[in-house]
Amino acid sequence: MTLAPEVDPRTDNPDDPDRLIDERRPGYCLDAPFYLSEEFFRRDIDAVFASTWIFAAAAAEVPEPGDFVTIDIGNYSVIIIRDDDENIRAHHNVCRHRGARLLSEANGSVGNIVCSYHQWTYSPEGDLMSAGVQAPGFDRTCFSLRSVNVRVVAGLVFICLAQNPPEDFAEVAERIAPYIEPHALDKTKVAAQVDLIEHSNWKLVMENNRECYHCEAGHPELTCTFFPTYGYAPEEIPKRLKPAYQRYLDAEERLRVNSERNNLPTQLIAELSGRATGFRIERAALDGKGESYTMDGGAASAKLLGDLDTPELGRLSMHTQPNAWFHFMGDHAVTFSLVPLGPDRTLVRSTWLVHEDAVEGVDYDVENLTTVWVKTNEQDAALCAKAHRGISSPAYVPGPYAPTESDLEEFCTWYIERLQAHRAQNGTGGQSR
Amino acid sequence: MTIDQETLRTGFDSAVPDFDATAPGVGAASPEVDAELTGMVECVSITEVTHNVKSFELFAPWMARIDFEPGQYVTVRIPELERERCYSIASAPFGTNTFTLTIKRVDGGAVSTYLHDVLKVGDRIHVDGPYGLFSTSFHPAEKHLFVSGGSGISPIMSMVRSLLARPAGTPTDIVLIHNAATPSDIIFRPELEQLAEVPGVSVVTMCSRDSAAEVVESGSEVRGAEVRNTEVWAGRRGRITRDTLAEVVPELADRETFVCGPADYMAAVRIMLDELGVLGSRVHEESFVFATSPAERLARKERVAEAVGAPVSGTSSASQAAEGICGGSALARFGIEFTTSGKHVDCDSETTVLDAAVEAGMVFPSSCEEGMCGTCKSVLVSGEVEMNHAGGIRPKEIAAGKFLPCCSTPLSDLVVER
Repeated sequence: MTLAPEVDPRTDNPDDPDRLIDERRPGYCLDAPFYLSEEFFRRDIDAVFASTWIFAAAAAEVPEPGDFVTIDIGNYSVIIIRDDDENIRAHHNVCRHRGARLLSEANGSVGNIVCSYHQWTYSPEGDLMSAGVQAPGFDRTCFSLRSVNVRVVAGLVFICLAQNPPEDFAEVAERIAPYIEPHALDKTKVAAQVDLIEHSNWKLVMENNRECYHCEAGHPELTCTFFPTYGYAPEEIPKRLKPAYQRYLDAEERLRVNSERNNLPTQLIAELSGRATGFRIERAALDGKGESYTMDGGAASAKLLGDLDTPELGRLSMHTQPNAWFHFMGDHAVTFSLVPLGPDRTLVRSTWLVHEDAVEGVDYDVENLTTVWVKTNEQDAALCAKAHRGISSPAYVPGPYAPTESDLEEFCTWYIERLQAHRAQNGTGGQSR
Repeated sequence: MTIDQETLRTGFDSAVPDFDATAPGVGAASPEVDAELTGMVECVSITEVTHNVKSFELFAPWMARIDFEPGQYVTVRIPELERERCYSIASAPFGTNTFTLTIKRVDGGAVSTYLHDVLKVGDRIHVDGPYGLFSTSFHPAEKHLFVSGGSGISPIMSMVRSLLARPAGTPTDIVLIHNAATPSDIIFRPELEQLAEVPGVSVVTMCSRDSAAEVVESGSEVRGAEVRNTEVWAGRRGRITRDTLAEVVPELADRETFVCGPADYMAAVRIMLDELGVLGSRVHEESFVFATSPAERLARKERVAEAVGAPVSGTSSASQAAEGICGGSALARFGIEFTTSGKHVDCDSETTVLDAAVEAGMVFPSSCEEGMCGTCKSVLVSGEVEMNHAGGIRPKEIAAGKFLPCCSTPLSDLVVER
């Protein structure tokens, strides 16, 4: 009588998630289960969205004490609120009494945070202030809201749901802040915000955002200003893009002069993988008038941000793994963030920020300000939905990334690193709570 | 590039919202059109009129134009002092949304001292009104005599300004007598000099004595003391007498006469007018406020009303206020109307709206009772409250007309959505 030899279960099942993670083919997009399965959706929430620093909101979205936004990530819900000392706080949206969700609205303003179930009342700082009649010995100080790690970087609010958030964030914050601070986001207001629900996996949304291979055919409005040469090495520029590339070089020279005069750093930093907080930041020229994302490239808002002396400053563009990208111009800024809602549904939020003193209808027109990215996001949503539906076919096999899609390879590398790191900390498929 | 039909159906919510200046979730406050000059008003300017008289221009944000009759007064309440005093409005109702109180600093007068020394532009005080029957509006006439002593000129100036603002061609026949202690005490002196030039207006300013040289402590600046210039009064001197009236007022008996000043001044003038054959029914008095409390004024107003057979009403709420204005230690009482339940509840100035409601048997959602949780938050449709909350409501919610009944006491009649 012999015992059956022990086998690694991963060799038995080609679709085993851990095997897919460990055997991902470099240079190719991911296997179908990464995009389609509930199992990977769960792992993405735990290993990525609940373990890394994610962009939550612009501080300008909560301009006054008591203003809040709520962000739902998987089963987590986080309240981001400005307290009475003007500090931005993040709390779990869970009452300490019997667990009811405290704030249901996506945004709003409260005096204090009050549970609608039994009226337990918390200050914006998260302290339990009032809990009706309780037994003798009830200690309110033991029932503050559970806090969420929060860091505000140059007016951008990042949160991390992990018990032990990645420590490299402080260093990243220090490096990106000098790029963003001249745009004085703390002196901006929300001019418009659009939520778009895309019918595709969140990773397809991020991948689509990281390449401009599709821009020429897919984004007529964006390419009025966004050079379609993004991602090309100079020697690879196809003949049809040569004129655009020459305009790009000229615009870059004008941008260099304007940036130096305004003391703006422009140097590319790209550390998209190999670290917990992957990011990329760079100031680059825009086509047309070179000022803003409008149909002619002219500034959309007459009030420039901060102390900038010209609107012709191209775009300071930043990308932060896993869920956000940003464009900061001389006249306005746009933040984009996504949250997975399910394996095939992703919320993409776009927020346009203008100088806090800019007057709608006088200094800026909302339609002119938002048109390019509203249309571009809709076009991207349609493209991502096609990608997701194609990948849903049993005939799908991962295809190779093109040279201009190197950011996507970095993204997948970073993503696999996160899944592996989480697995190492929590055991196979382990769920952190 | 087309977006397929299914995507369109289940699609993208990409409408750019009309971004409105108000914060998300907070509706813009709809200004209440309130005919009452009752509420918190903001001081928008302070003007020195004489060494001890200042004009306070007050802004009532809820009124497109201040609606009152020239000569009427308001009750000023200083929340910090918990004191009330009545002051006549000196400005005319010219369709603006500000009005002016011209107030003499009274030694030992808590309210006037506060207004002179503490109130700054931008501060808010509570006014309630307008009240009073001392107005040309209630006694239409073609010819007028105004007799004023000291700061009694305030309501008189309101009426004179109004009469002069009537449509061109309206016949004007005004005699204005003003008595001041010294030239430096003449209130509205430049305006009185201008009025004297207006056809149909005769102005007689009298001073009891010359301005004496006196040492004045200069306000807050450490400049030591300064000596005010003396002035020898070249105009009519001494106190007002029967002979003065007979001499300077033609057709005395045909005039609707308005007298305002210290009590003994008015009593003296009344006797003179009587002796000169003026009918008592044509003489109207307003004891200008030196230290009268609302209760005293109300009692007086009732006597006047009885005398002239008119109802006690300057405004529709005057009779309600009549029951409520503090006299001695009695608290002001107000009525609260709850629109949803249809209940009417009485509430004094030291009882919270919530307590008044629950004592009256209303079921009113609330929890902390300390202005923290906001459970009782309600819309204040009209009226004014004093609210001492603990963070349960934000300024923009207050601006949107909401309040916390658990920590609010009424300052006027209220209408509450509950």
